[in-house]
Amino acid sequence: MTAAARPRRQPAGYVVVRLGLVLMVVNGLFPAAWLLLTSFKSEDELTHLPITYFPQHATLHNYVAVFQQNPFARFLVNSTVVSLGATLVCVLFAALAGYALARLHLTGRRAILTAIVMTSMFPALVMMVPLYRLFVGVPLPLLSPLVGYLHALGWGFMPASLNSPNLLNTYWALIIPYVALSLPITTLILTSFFQLIPEDLEAAATVDGATRVGALFRVVAPLSAPGMVTAGIIAFVNSWNEFLLALTFNTAMNMRTVPVGITLYQGQFAFPWAVISAAITIGIVPLVLLILFFQQRIISGLTAGGVKG
Amino acid sequence: MARSAPTTPYRPPGFWRRLRQGNLTDPQLAVMLLLPALLTLAVVMLYPMLTVLWQSLHFQRLNEPFRGTPFIGLRNFQRMLGGEGLRWSAVKLWWLRVLGLATLPALAWAARRRLLGKGTAVALAAVALLVFGLLLGLQPGPGGRWTDARFWNSFSITLLIIAVSVAGAFLVGLPLALLANVRSRMRWLGRVALLLPWAMPRVFAGLTFAWLFQSQYGVVNDVLGRIGIHGPLWLARVAPAVAAVNVTIVWKTSSFVGLILLAGLQSIDASLYEAAVVDGAGSWQRFWHITLPLLRPSIAVALIFRTLTAIQTFDIPFAMTRGGPGRSLETLGVYIYNTTLALNIGYAAALSVVLFVLSLGITVVYLRWIYTE
Repeated sequence: MTAAARPRRQPAGYVVVRLGLVLMVVNGLFPAAWLLLTSFKSEDELTHLPITYFPQHATLHNYVAVFQQNPFARFLVNSTVVSLGATLVCVLFAALAGYALARLHLTGRRAILTAIVMTSMFPALVMMVPLYRLFVGVPLPLLSPLVGYLHALGWGFMPASLNSPNLLNTYWALIIPYVALSLPITTLILTSFFQLIPEDLEAAATVDGATRVGALFRVVAPLSAPGMVTAGIIAFVNSWNEFLLALTFNTAMNMRTVPVGITLYQGQFAFPWAVISAAITIGIVPLVLLILFFQQRIISGLTAGGVKG
Repeated sequence: MARSAPTTPYRPPGFWRRLRQGNLTDPQLAVMLLLPALLTLAVVMLYPMLTVLWQSLHFQRLNEPFRGTPFIGLRNFQRMLGGEGLRWSAVKLWWLRVLGLATLPALAWAARRRLLGKGTAVALAAVALLVFGLLLGLQPGPGGRWTDARFWNSFSITLLIIAVSVAGAFLVGLPLALLANVRSRMRWLGRVALLLPWAMPRVFAGLTFAWLFQSQYGVVNDVLGRIGIHGPLWLARVAPAVAAVNVTIVWKTSSFVGLILLAGLQSIDASLYEAAVVDGAGSWQRFWHITLPLLRPSIAVALIFRTLTAIQTFDIPFAMTRGGPGRSLETLGVYIYNTTLALNIGYAAALSVVLFVLSLGITVVYLRWIYTE
């Protein structure tokens, strides 16, 4: 890390900076803090004027209600499974691709990296309908006609057509698109990370008798662990936050994720804000923990991505 | 003459042999390693894109299966973009258009100062003239109609959100980045405050701000009331709702812009500042002559990603007002979602293509800007 850009200056500037920092903290944390305060208030207190800032009679009732009204624990499990699954697969794929793009002599690797990064401008919204139909089950292009032809020839063990499996309301329906959604940024981060690892280390390992793949797993992988953690956190946050695809693909109550589940607490006309606040508070706890423990990692990971991009 | 046993001529080991021995050539290994990522992207990105392109040329309503899926060429786009009996009015959306046209002198200035390539400047000026000078002034005269008023409504609200939220996120994000880079005991707290909006799901941000902007029991109107302003019904009236949603989007996205800019700040060599101090440069001069020029690549990256996500704005308006009141916040994203929900698949695909072309156009403009630097 480079030293902070500005040296300390005259007191006037110092006060401005101090004030700015306070404003920044308020700006970033106030909405979440207000949610936290709201979640401890009773519904009566919320609809009482003038509004109170701190809960008069702090209650945990809302947190109980979150779990009673909807299977919120199940939403948490679903979100965790989907996000962790997508993160693991995504980091694995991105690490393999990033290594190839950073190290191996392949013509047009810059073009490939650009193409991969460019796919991040492809809106999730546009993927929604085609992926929905793919996940319901469509005849696989090329494969299905071939199988049907063989079936017609009298190969009875061949099915008449070959459809893609019905993945709706399974974890895979979300993991597959989430991997693709996070792949561009994680590939970018890991590519720039691999470029920072000195090539000599690998060469030394090959001299000592390791194969290329062996060197990849024994030398490069451990050294790139910090980069993978960063990429993993970003993939996890992306997956935990995704809303639209989760809303459309997994409609069964016991397969919903947290962001979708939280919208279920709104009634047709009423917004039970206390319960919603409690639900959101629970939903952002994992993210807050990640931020608290890994803030430097996240920022340096985005540095790598930003500098290369 | 005794000949030694015939030896097989040397053949370089084939792909499978090399694979078994873990001794692939570089291109072979590279392709193997790239395969999982590229396959995933092909299934999840490429396949839907091609499908959508194909569907946009067809009529398809899932609630009217008896009408089949006939090929109708560009009819979907005609219905969306065309119009009959249109009149042009100088006053329609004049404030937005004046704002847009005000970029022309800035463009001319930038072109003369060689901040922009000539071609880029001309292209941008042409787009601005077309959009702000002509298109946004169009409205149907008596007896005429937009062929799809909802599309133009969603298009203009999306443009508005892009303009406001990209500029807003930059203007808020830059100070955030500068502050997060200051050495202080509060730095970790500042960084948590910078990261939280980034990590917070957009839906949560939307719901949270809907609660803050709640007209009766929300904290915003309470604070306004304390300083003697009677706050509006934020999410029930058009103008306040647009403002509230934009504030939310700026809050949510400024931290991403701030993070990218912070990354850029950290890559600036500290010795430059020391040299500038020795030369007697004030802090404002240091910012203007060192920080800002060196930050340009990061600014470009941040603006590209922010603009691309702004085009796709969906979660926050959807969570806050479901695109309401009325259709005032029905962005292109929300419109596509609603069209899909109405099972009008062909038309939704055509809308998606427009969204995609818009993203592509903006990316190309930005990329040209970066590469000419």
